[in-house]
Amino acid sequence: MTDPVTLTVLNNSFVNVCREMGLTMIRTAFSPIFNEGLDFSCVVFDRRGNMIGQAEFCPAQIAASLYIVRWTLEELGVDSFEPGDVVLHNDPYRGGAHIPEHSVIRPVFHDGELFGFVANVGHLAEIGGMAVGSFAADATEVFQEGLRIPPIKIVKRDEHDMELWQLIMANHRTPRNTWGDLNAQIGSLRVAERRMHELLDRYGRELVEQASDELMDYSERWMRAEIEAIPDGVYAFGERMEDDGVGPDPVRFHVQVTVNGDELIVDWSGTDPQARGPINATYGVTAGATYNAVFHLTDDGIPKNSGAYRPIRIIAPPGSAVNVQYPGPSVGGNTETHPKLADIVIAALAPALPHRAAAAEGGTACNFLFGGIHPKTGDYYANYHLEGGGWGGTAAQDGNDAIIVKNGNCRNTPVEIFETRYPLRVIEYSLLPDSGGPGAQRGGLGTRRVFEIEEGAEVTVNALLDRTKPGFGAWGLAGGKQGGPAAILVKRKGETEFRTFTEAFGTASGSKFTNIRLQAGDRVIIESPGGGGYGDPGERSADLVTEDIDQGFVSEEAARTAYGLES
Amino acid sequence: MGTWREIDVPVWETVVTPCDCCGQVVAKRLWIVEIDGTEQRFCGEECESLFRTYVLPERAVRAAADADPA
Repeated sequence: MTDPVTLTVLNNSFVNVCREMGLTMIRTAFSPIFNEGLDFSCVVFDRRGNMIGQAEFCPAQIAASLYIVRWTLEELGVDSFEPGDVVLHNDPYRGGAHIPEHSVIRPVFHDGELFGFVANVGHLAEIGGMAVGSFAADATEVFQEGLRIPPIKIVKRDEHDMELWQLIMANHRTPRNTWGDLNAQIGSLRVAERRMHELLDRYGRELVEQASDELMDYSERWMRAEIEAIPDGVYAFGERMEDDGVGPDPVRFHVQVTVNGDELIVDWSGTDPQARGPINATYGVTAGATYNAVFHLTDDGIPKNSGAYRPIRIIAPPGSAVNVQYPGPSVGGNTETHPKLADIVIAALAPALPHRAAAAEGGTACNFLFGGIHPKTGDYYANYHLEGGGWGGTAAQDGNDAIIVKNGNCRNTPVEIFETRYPLRVIEYSLLPDSGGPGAQRGGLGTRRVFEIEEGAEVTVNALLDRTKPGFGAWGLAGGKQGGPAAILVKRKGETEFRTFTEAFGTASGSKFTNIRLQAGDRVIIESPGGGGYGDPGERSADLVTEDIDQGFVSEEAARTAYGLES
Repeated sequence: MGTWREIDVPVWETVVTPCDCCGQVVAKRLWIVEIDGTEQRFCGEECESLFRTYVLPERAVRAAADADPA
């Protein structure tokens, strides 16, 4: 038995190894999606494929890495790894969350013996395919979404396989960024390997292995105790996405959660069949969303390692919208479906855990991808832009404003960086009044951003949003009301009114489309949705509603109609 | 009683095999069991157990509900 102090020191060390990997990424990556957006995650595994360390990165990527690493080890064989190797992998059917996310995995040998693996999952901003930014919102096959890479060694004994690199970069629109960003990921693995060597030198291999096993058992016991505190029973909830980007029909997701003692069975069998468009979730996404929800509902002190996941059994039927099968598309499943799946699990368990559950969040990352030839440099550029929305209110407090969806802990890109790198000007960036769902605890606010294409530029844009249609807003809980909708609108130069992209360009979906060419002077509005409210809006104190009016969060009209405030 | 079966994947094969119970990818070895005359492919014995104790009874409940919507 390892003493508690040493256990705590080693647990924090594993976390800090991951954090230092992240700092390496921020400082060395080429693309804003990494050094500003933080759309990556860093993890440490033992040699059996158990996660022993993670830090505060993207929940979706962290959960997906559980499967990416384990299945890669099974497929390639642990014995196939040599010191200095790096395996690259972005296959959505082999654990990945969606195809832009590239995992790199490096073994850690100590005194000639394999200890474990360090891994980094990062969302490359451009990987080819039918749409710039590789977010093909109307794709019907994986081949349209970008270059798919099964687990392969891109570095062998610290020597880059340059022919593989050339093959990959020949299929990406911004290969210089691919080179810089993937090498930032690989560099972070070297930093982690060095830190793990220091840890193993200091404490000895036997103690580190024993402690990581004990930490996983400890996490498992704690998670089981949390689950045991939930009344046994069967809990269910369902919700729809407004469309799949290809057809007009909604896609339905449904969960049944069975609490049986200290175990959970989370069964997605009632979900619609795999959609034709790219809103399907991979297995990694569905599992990640399920774990994400459970972590939201349980004590946040549980060390996040493989032990914490053991009491949760997930059933995700292959060929359904929660477990896409080849060659179905899935790029939007990570950003649009993951947050909804997580909120569906939370809503299902809300009757049993009303003090811990939140109303639904905006549930769309408002993905906006664009690229073209930069008029000032003559170079091709591409960017993946996302927006935060409102989160749901809880029994204790209002929802947060302008926060990225639950699948990621990403940040927005500062306007100054954005305008320096790309030929678009930000005309407005503001919180959206009345977008938070009314409630005793109000839903968080969404945002409004207005872009204008700069003089001399022609920009190709793609978008993948949801919750733009009436009735699809973030749901409230315990009598709270729905949050405000999302929107993406365009005003061509010389026009006076903003219109939907369907009205302006004839796109099949107003919220999911690709390859629209905009010219200098054209403007785009993106509005992110608000979060759902919690509790009866009539119970919100007049003082808080008045403060909301003073802050510009709630209009006087909404204060009267939604909250019953007398003037 | 089940048996383990190695998955032999030709180089051109890009389709992965999911578990018939949980839907996870089975990368190398399938746990094969015949249940009610049908061959089922699982990740391992834990999924076989979950299939027998949860999935089959749930399917029966849903089938009964579908047959009698009232």
